[in-house]
Amino acid sequence: MSSSPADVSRSVGAPRTADGAVSPRAIPRRALLRGLGIGGGALGLVTVARRALGAQETPAANFAPMEQGAYRPTLRDPKPDATPRLTDADRDALEHRIKCQCGCILDIYTCRTTDFTCQVSPAMHRDVMRLVAGGYEAEEILEAFVATYGEVALTAPKKEGFNWAGYLAPGIAMATGAVALTILLRKWAREARTAAAARPAGGLGAATLPGVSAEELSRLDRALREEG
Amino acid sequence: MILVGELSLWIALLMCAWSVTLSFAGGVTRRPELVASGERGLYAGVGFVILASAGLWTALLTSDFSLRYVASFTSANLPTVYKISAFWGGQAGSLLFWCLVLGGYAALATWTNRGRNRELMPWVTGTNAAVLLFFVMATALASNPFERLDWVPADGRGLNPQLQNPAMAIHPPLLYLGYVATAIPFAFAIAALVTRRLDAEWLGAVRRWSLVSWVFLTLGIVMGMWWAYVELGWGGYWMWDPVENASLLPWLTGTAFLHSIMIQEKRGMLRKWNVTLVVGTFLLSILGTFITRSGIIQSVHSFAQSAIGAWFATFFVLALLATIALVSMRLRDLEAQAQLEAMISREAAFLYNNLVLVGIAFSVLWGTLFPILSEAVRGTKITVGESFFNAVNVPLGLLLLALTGVGPLIAWRKASVDNIRRQFVGPAAFGLLVGAALLVLGIRKLSPIVAWTLAGFVAGTIVQEFWKGVGARRRMYDESLPRAFARLVARNRRRYGGYIVHAGIVILFAAFAGMAFKKEYDLTLKAGESATVVDPYGTRWTFTSEGLSEFKALNRDVLTLALRPEVDGVRLPLITSEKRQHRDSRGAPTFQPSTEVGILSQQRQDVYVVLAGAIGEDAEVRINFNPLVVWVWNGGLLMAIGGLIVMWPAADRRRRQVGYVAELEPQAIGAGA
Repeated sequence: MSSSPADVSRSVGAPRTADGAVSPRAIPRRALLRGLGIGGGALGLVTVARRALGAQETPAANFAPMEQGAYRPTLRDPKPDATPRLTDADRDALEHRIKCQCGCILDIYTCRTTDFTCQVSPAMHRDVMRLVAGGYEAEEILEAFVATYGEVALTAPKKEGFNWAGYLAPGIAMATGAVALTILLRKWAREARTAAAARPAGGLGAATLPGVSAEELSRLDRALREEG
Repeated sequence: MILVGELSLWIALLMCAWSVTLSFAGGVTRRPELVASGERGLYAGVGFVILASAGLWTALLTSDFSLRYVASFTSANLPTVYKISAFWGGQAGSLLFWCLVLGGYAALATWTNRGRNRELMPWVTGTNAAVLLFFVMATALASNPFERLDWVPADGRGLNPQLQNPAMAIHPPLLYLGYVATAIPFAFAIAALVTRRLDAEWLGAVRRWSLVSWVFLTLGIVMGMWWAYVELGWGGYWMWDPVENASLLPWLTGTAFLHSIMIQEKRGMLRKWNVTLVVGTFLLSILGTFITRSGIIQSVHSFAQSAIGAWFATFFVLALLATIALVSMRLRDLEAQAQLEAMISREAAFLYNNLVLVGIAFSVLWGTLFPILSEAVRGTKITVGESFFNAVNVPLGLLLLALTGVGPLIAWRKASVDNIRRQFVGPAAFGLLVGAALLVLGIRKLSPIVAWTLAGFVAGTIVQEFWKGVGARRRMYDESLPRAFARLVARNRRRYGGYIVHAGIVILFAAFAGMAFKKEYDLTLKAGESATVVDPYGTRWTFTSEGLSEFKALNRDVLTLALRPEVDGVRLPLITSEKRQHRDSRGAPTFQPSTEVGILSQQRQDVYVVLAGAIGEDAEVRINFNPLVVWVWNGGLLMAIGGLIVMWPAADRRRRQVGYVAELEPQAIGAGA
């Protein structure tokens, strides 16, 4: 099929009458009415299908409800002659690294100082206080919480084992992309230089673009450069 | 009206199916009557979606609790504005809202292209109708807002208090307008691939739609940040929540496309890459919706886990496979028409900019999905939170900021050493000056120093570009400074609108960096008691509690704390923070108590007060000093304004729409003669 763009724009579009005038309603209206008729009949069928698919799920909640029972005690015997190793600021910083288990996505410091209705973060905070008073270091306290709740107790995964994939994959992907892009750009630039060297003197355009003068191409070139 | 709405949803489904079939058939057979019928089927489908939406709004406004959706998300005493916004407050309604927006866009795209792009249009209409068909099916079959309860409750459950906020009435529609607009460029890309018309024509058609999507996504994301900041009470505006991430993904790839499209327009290069970005942006918006709806990832926004996730997963996979197949079949047609001439060129700078944007998108997606991957591989649940995303994305963000300044200064095709020296010396010197000033002021945190130094550099590039442009106009036309500025922007909206977007980016990054200095205090205060704390600038603030008070409002009981701040003996306006217990019309409590933060907003910082709770007369309160927050909103707004300037039709284009006006410059006439 060989048709020019202009032909195509005439042939594919609104329907026309014999004299070529646009006739937007002839077939489509009937088609739509048929569609509506079919629609009415099909409605019953679809309703049956819908019933067959089962009742709708429980209505969606906008926000997950709190799991007030999610607290599990994280207790350790105090160290001999225990003295707190962490200042209040250190403790608050540590609490930013422990995730509240109530179902929110906050750390326990933020949760307990934002929402008093949460019973989980204050309980976890009390455990932190006891462990601090028991002479435990920040990393030991984190380990204690991981032992109780699993790694989900941490706001960011530990840098070990498979978790390294999480930390390193974006960097590796970016570095790989940067190297690949640089190689590609260098290749393109080299090919362009080779093509330019092989081109006959007197300008690229006149030889390759019929109907475009060298002067016009030169003006276009200047305009592009000036815009830069 | 409600019954009409319900029926309309089913009829819309049939009309969309009709439109898909007839449009594709018309495209294959090139029979205009089929194409026209397909277009009318789409219009009819959209009409019925509008009727269905009117039906749901009627049910919400008349509190028809026989509908499960109305009973689940409203109550009789809910303020009217929130009854209206409850339309998108739950899953079923928001799916119907998606249909409404997509239908509006699809109809507009068909209407505005009724006299052009005719070879593309059967496939554009068919693809749009297919996407609409999917959403109408998902709404009707999997999450129907017109589902009836077996009994009619006396009152509804009410809308979640955290959604009863003016921002929440605006933020979701803005985000939907952005998300859904990605479907139109996708439809044009499919049409261009099918018809092999992969020249600049289809790009012209999609550029404005991509900008529409970008502007709405920008506004939606910033509005969402504002909502999170004022409503959730945790003290920040971005937490790398999966749903926040889902909105960022198409914004990042859409931004990459808006840059790389310039290379194809000017040089005929990157055709494969641009098709990939258009398709990828749409698929990411579907993937984001899947993440939000499926409940597979824990999120503050999570909808209940439901079968709808499987629908979106299926649609995502089908669309992905179909586009991969199409692109593979058209690789020859997507060959570049020109070559890159030099490594140091604007084309190369834009490509590195694309790499960083797509790299950030990958790292965000990777971090969002990594908990699922970890559970699948190791069987261990983990949390990937703010610290992970910041560790990975802050360096990439800073690199992007640097490229924001580099790109516009380098010449197209090949930059000379002279060009680089002339363009970069001033901005680079200004950036270094900013960095040195920060060190002199005693700032030692690396990230903010780098961010503000780069912000200084990029700001320098923007000022330099405007300075040169305005100066040239003033010399040539003897215009006043404001007039020259206004005309400079008006005559080259794409270029200078883009610089305004960049200015917004600079402000945004500078404001983000400010949060590295935030301070927070956890206090217990009785009425009349005071506490003195120090803000990030070293200023001492004294907060005196004016006591707790209780009162009843329309649909809630309120416990409020009033704090009087004082700086250097100067009393500042009261800051009040509330604890609210919402109740239905019978007085029964609905939802858990929620927090309303109190904010004293200044140019330098926000004083952010959260009433965590009260024990007797003791108010437990957290006070945050959040530096430069107001500039996040200003930067976001400036970006959207810049985007609007870029997409605004040029004067000559608007004139052409009412009649052809020949415009030839005198020297062009002379040269041509």
